[in-house]
Amino acid sequence: MTSADQSPVRGADVIIIGGGVAGLSTAWQLKKRGLSVLVIERQQLGNGSSGRAAGLLGQLRGTKAATKMLMDGLQVVYDLEKQTGLEIFVQTGSIRIAETEERSQEIRRLVDMGRSIRFPIVDLEIDKLQERLPYMKVDDIIDACFCPTDGHIQPAELVQAYVKAGRAEGVQYITNCRVEKILVEGGKGVGVQTAQGEFRADFIVNSTGPWSYYLADLSGTSLPTAAIGHYYLTTRPTDKVHVGKRSPAVRNRHHRIYSRPESGGLIVGMYEAEPDEYNIEDLPHDFDMSLMKAARDNYNVALLIHQAQQRFPWINERTPMTITSGIMTFTPDGKPFCGKLPDVEGLYHCAGFSGHGIVQSPAIGTIMSDLITRGETEYNISEIEADRYFELPELRDRVEVKARCADMYGRYYGQIEGQSS
Amino acid sequence: MKILVPTKRVPDTDQKIKVSSDGTGVQTNTLPFIINPFDAIALEEALRIQEGASDEVEVITVGIGNDEYEKELRAGLAMGADRAIHVSTDELLDPWNVSKVLKVIVEKEAPDLVLMGKQAVDDDSNQAGQFLAAQLDWPQATFISKIELADSKANVERETDLGIEKLSLNLPAVITADLRLNEPRYASLPNIMKAKKKPIDSIPLTDLGIEIEPKIEIISVEAPSSIRSCKKVETVDELLTLLRDEAKVL
Ligand SMILES: Cc1cc2nc3c(=O)[nH]c(=O)nc-3n(C[C@H](O)[C@H](O)[C@H](O)COP(=O)(O)OP(=O)(O)OC[C@H]3O[C@@H](n4cnc5c(N)ncnc54)[C@H](O)[C@@H]3O)c2cc1C
Repeated sequence: MTSADQSPVRGADVIIIGGGVAGLSTAWQLKKRGLSVLVIERQQLGNGSSGRAAGLLGQLRGTKAATKMLMDGLQVVYDLEKQTGLEIFVQTGSIRIAETEERSQEIRRLVDMGRSIRFPIVDLEIDKLQERLPYMKVDDIIDACFCPTDGHIQPAELVQAYVKAGRAEGVQYITNCRVEKILVEGGKGVGVQTAQGEFRADFIVNSTGPWSYYLADLSGTSLPTAAIGHYYLTTRPTDKVHVGKRSPAVRNRHHRIYSRPESGGLIVGMYEAEPDEYNIEDLPHDFDMSLMKAARDNYNVALLIHQAQQRFPWINERTPMTITSGIMTFTPDGKPFCGKLPDVEGLYHCAGFSGHGIVQSPAIGTIMSDLITRGETEYNISEIEADRYFELPELRDRVEVKARCADMYGRYYGQIEGQSS
Repeated sequence: MKILVPTKRVPDTDQKIKVSSDGTGVQTNTLPFIINPFDAIALEEALRIQEGASDEVEVITVGIGNDEYEKELRAGLAMGADRAIHVSTDELLDPWNVSKVLKVIVEKEAPDLVLMGKQAVDDDSNQAGQFLAAQLDWPQATFISKIELADSKANVERETDLGIEKLSLNLPAVITADLRLNEPRYASLPNIMKAKKKPIDSIPLTDLGIEIEPKIEIISVEAPSSIRSCKKVETVDELLTLLRDEAKVL
């Protein structure tokens, strides 16, 4: 990685602020289209949310547009694997389960939608469930479906692959360099101010994850994202329970949990109703997400363990495990913001992935570079346009934004998909 | 049976540590605090003894420090301790004075066993347990990786450089925990609720009737140099030469 003083680059066609998966994917795609690209990261590449993620890839989402994006993204991942020789995607298949009539209907709606766009789905007999998941309690499950092409993306490998591929194309990366200000002249973003001086560009991308609203503030505009805490546990393999590498991921919305295999143990994460909220601007400048730890009596961790136990009865507070604590970026509707806002020309936002940035990032890179180089994209992006809340004055108020984002996080597994918006 | 577990509240030393502006300590205002990891291991062991025992076992935690201490004591109660004692003081005590305070508490509570961490990760002194045993004139075993209680005796194992040492000591005794003794639990949901109602008995340090006599004066605290010189070697021979001539370890 070059440091700014030695580097001849003091600008580029595009400056990408934030070296998480969103920024790295966008940088690589833009460079492939011939633009010069400079990524500026306050710490190490991938050390923000991207370094904490579980990486679950469930392609069956509430809408066709969202599902299509994930299906295309997976093709990008396969290309990246070929190009870099890294194993990024682990295809385990994934299972959605329902223990109530409402949840069963939710699954049926998703299955219908998925089949209408030829997404492979297998109906699963309940008695076959136990065969596939010997370590899961199944006696209260009334419906399930299996998506064989799902699995998980290994976040560290994805970050590495983006950088390897990007570097091969000629993307420049500057690390340990915090952007202090986005320079706006005559209503247009023209560069950034950092501890290592100024850098100039025609296009600037704000892909700073949990910091995105703060960076937007610094450039005099406003982006309604919020920083929300999230936990998952990883059990260690034991003599009694060994979770195979290809054991399917599970989504159990009724209990608000998801799971997937990890190194012979099991990852279980939870979307609790009342998440921790963070003010990213109050954290020290050198705040390092990889050092976050949960207290022994953390309520949400206790809740996570409790919920995990409902589905995996062998898990309890004494099970040897590690707790991963991180910060996600949420938006009021759980969809990211991708594109420009009307008040600052040349400044593009790419943030707010609401717990799904790892798996959305491959397609998002294409979408962002479409928008920057052509001003349009073949993708249906009406749900993720950056300016969709721009006219709402209440979404300029931090208190209101935080409340709505936390509420969205709480409803993420809480609500029945396909019933409300 | 009664087990007393002293727990210290320490800054999480896995975080980035910076020296305070006056150069006599570390900046703690932005650091998260935790129960000293070795004390958490001691507490976990006490709870396992309690859960495995046929007779009633009471587990009491003790903390010495300012009002902020209550948070960590509450965490100990949530893990499962029955009650907590908070010796309140704004003074920072060195290990000798900590052991003096603990001695008073031990005399008051008369536990069968004091189980504590082998050291606190903030100052790494590794003295409080030993001082306490000496002051009480009790048997002691330090750096314990296994413990079994039977017939008023503690049979313990300690990992040494030469192998595993097995000791048997009469209770009451002071025993300090090493890393491999166990893996502490997270609090369960019901225990977090119960902990809110468990008593924390607060006693001002000044009421203990002991004189605090500082034995350690901190002259200065410096951050270790962050510049580590690295050299890439091409051959094994080159490495051996360097180890022999420069590092002088061969
Ligand atoms: C515990 C946890 C589990 C998760 N599980 C999943 C999952 O299963 N599947 C999934 O798809 N997603 C998951 N996510 C979400 C996923 O991690 C994020 O959506 C994704 O990483 C977002 O990427 P990003 O590039 O937008 O943000 P980040 O990875 O946070 O990157 C932003 C970067 O910007 C940098 N930055 C900030 N401010 C500045 C500045 N002023 N100057 C320079 N650089 C700056 C930061 O240091 C950081 O590296 C999870 C997240 C967490 C926390």
